[in-house]
Amino acid sequence: MMELQKMKSNVVGIDIGIATTTYAVIDLRGNILAQESFDTREYPNIDNYLGVLSEHLVNLVERTCGYENIRSVGVCCPNSNYKTGCLENATNLQWKGVIPLAALMRDRLGLAVALANNSQCIALGEQAFGAAHGMRDFVIITLGHGMGSCFFSNGKMHMGNKGFAGEIGHTCVVPNGRECSCGHRGCLESYCAERGVIQTAKELLAERNEPSMLRNVDDINPKVLTEMAELGDHLAIETWRRTGEMLGMGLANYASILNPEAIILTGGLPHAGRWLLEPTEAAFENHVFRNIKGQTRLLVSSLKDGERDVLGASVLAWQVKEYSLFL
Amino acid sequence: MLIDNIKTHVVGVDIRLESTTIAIIDIRGNIVATTHFPTMNYHDVGNFLTAMSDAIMNLLEQNTGIDCIRSIGISAPSGNFYSGCIENSPNFPWKGVVPLAAMLRDRLGLAVALGNDAHVCALGEWAFGAAHGMKDFVLLTMQSGMGSCIVSNGQVCYGANGFAGEVGHTCVIPEGRECGCGKKGCLEAYVTIKGINKTAKEVLAESNKPSLLRDVDTFTSQAIVNFCEQGDELAIETLRRTGKILGLGLANFATILNPEAIVFTEDLMVLSRWIMEDTYATFQEYVFRNIADKVKFTVSSLDDQTRALMGASVLAWDVKEYSLFK
Repeated sequence: MMELQKMKSNVVGIDIGIATTTYAVIDLRGNILAQESFDTREYPNIDNYLGVLSEHLVNLVERTCGYENIRSVGVCCPNSNYKTGCLENATNLQWKGVIPLAALMRDRLGLAVALANNSQCIALGEQAFGAAHGMRDFVIITLGHGMGSCFFSNGKMHMGNKGFAGEIGHTCVVPNGRECSCGHRGCLESYCAERGVIQTAKELLAERNEPSMLRNVDDINPKVLTEMAELGDHLAIETWRRTGEMLGMGLANYASILNPEAIILTGGLPHAGRWLLEPTEAAFENHVFRNIKGQTRLLVSSLKDGERDVLGASVLAWQVKEYSLFL
Repeated sequence: MLIDNIKTHVVGVDIRLESTTIAIIDIRGNIVATTHFPTMNYHDVGNFLTAMSDAIMNLLEQNTGIDCIRSIGISAPSGNFYSGCIENSPNFPWKGVVPLAAMLRDRLGLAVALGNDAHVCALGEWAFGAAHGMKDFVLLTMQSGMGSCIVSNGQVCYGANGFAGEVGHTCVIPEGRECGCGKKGCLEAYVTIKGINKTAKEVLAESNKPSLLRDVDTFTSQAIVNFCEQGDELAIETLRRTGKILGLGLANFATILNPEAIVFTEDLMVLSRWIMEDTYATFQEYVFRNIADKVKFTVSSLDDQTRALMGASVLAWDVKEYSLFK
C-alpha cells in the first residue's frame, strides 16, 4: 500500500559573504530554526571551502530537523549568476574565474541548490517576508561595500538576458568623475557606497578649513560619520548630504525608467538614518520624472541585518525544482 | 454539436495626432486592408468614435466582413493598457480620462484592447520584427520626445502605474540643459531633434567653418542627415556629439537592464547611420564590463506605421474574445 508522502517543510539558506559565511535552517514561513557562521577567508581553495561548509551544514541540519526534512538549498553569493548557477569573476571573493557553485554543492549535498546574488536574494526575501510583501513592481537597493540592485516587474524578478541586470552602482552619474573599482569613472557606487562616502569625507576635510571632530579620527567609516553627525559635526552632516544628493539622483533615474511602487534600501549605509535619507528623498523628488513623482515610495528594509540574506536564500531554495540523491 | 471555426482576423487601430489608421490583419501579421481619416477633425470624442466605428465597419464590409473578426487593438499616445483609457493626453483635444476601449466595445460589440503607443510598438517589433524571439529587450522610440518600452521575462514592463520606460527623462548631464519636463540634463534634451538643433547652434558658435546648417533656422532629422551625406563637417560633428550622449544614456540603461538588444525606431532609424558609431563606442566605454559586447544594437525592420498596426493586432489577440452577437 502506498503511504502518503510528507512534505518537506524546511530549506537551507546560505549567505556567502566576503568575511563571513552564514548558513541556516529555515521553515516555509521564514522562521530561522538554527543558524551558524564561520570565517570565509580561511579557505582560499574553493574545494576546501565547500568541504568544510558541507560538513558544518550537515551537522547543523542533523541537530535541527534531520536531513530528510530539507527540501533544497538556496545560496546567496556576490557576483553569482542565477541563470547559470555559477560564481562569475568575483571582484572581492578570493575564488577567481567562473565556478559552477550550484552544481558543486548539489553533488556534495545530494539536494537541489539554487544560487543568486545578494540583491536578488534580498529582493526575494523582502517580497516574501519584508517590506515588498504584496508588491509586483519594486526595486531593492543594496548599499554597503558595494552598490547593487534587483527589480521585480509584473511580480517576477528581472534578471536580464545574461543574468547581469541591476548594476545600478555602475551607472555613470558624473562623466569623467571618480575612479571606480570596476575600471570606469564616475560610477554611482564610487560616490554612494562605503568607500565613496569615506572619500567624500576626506575631500571635504581637505577643501574646507572649518574645525571638525573628523580631523581627529584615524579610521573614518560610515558608523563614525553617523555618530559625528548626531553630535552636530558640520562636515559629517555635509558628507551625508552630498552622498544623499548623488543617491537621490541615481534612484530618480532608476524610477523614471521603471515606475516602481517602491524603492527599498537595504545594507549597512541606510543605518545613517535621516542624515542620509532626507537629502536622498529631496534629490529624488527633484530629479524624478513628473508622472512618477509622488508615486514611488522610498523605504528602508524592515528585516534584520544578520538574517536578511539567509532568509532571501531560503526563498530562493523554494524556487528550485526538488531533487534528492537519497530517494 | 457543430465544430466551431476560429476567427482568423483582428482589427488594428493606430491613433496619431495627424491621422487615425485602421487595418484588418490576419494571424500571421498580413495586412489585408487599410483606411485612414484625419484625427483632429473631431474635437468631440463622441464624434471621433462615430467616425472610427463607421470607418471600421466600412472597411470590414468592403473586405472580410465582421464574422471573421475576433477583436480590436488600439495604439494611442497616453493610452493606459490597464484601464483601457486615454489619460490626460497633452496633445489630443479630448481632455481628462477617456475610456475609449469600453466606448468602442459598446458600439461594435467586439472586445477592444488599448495600449500606449510605445508599448504597442514593442509588441509589433516583437511579434513580426527585429525583436522576434527575444525575452529581454528594449525598444527606443523617438519623435518629438524620447521614450522606450522594456520587455522583461517575455512580458512588457508597465511599472506600478503604467509609466515605465521614461528613459528620455533620466539625467545624463547633472545641471545640464533644461528639458521640457522641467528638469535639467535629461537625455531627451540632447538627442531629440529639438536637442540636436541646440547642439548644432553650440557647434556653429564654436567654429568659423562654413556649414549648410548656417543657412537654416531649424532642421529636421532627415535634413541634417542630408547635410552629413553632403560632407558637411559641422553637421557631422553635431551628430557625433549627439551619438556620444545617447551612448552614455544607453549604457546606464543597459547596465540596469542587461537587455539582449536595443532596437532603434522612428527618428533614430533616420539618424542611425551618422550617430550609431559614436553611440556604440561610448556605450562600450561606459557600460558595466560584464555586459559589454553582450548587447546588440539593431534598427527596426518595420516602418513606423506597420509597426504600430502590427502591435495593435498583437494587443487584439491578447484580449479575451467577446461578442455581443453570440
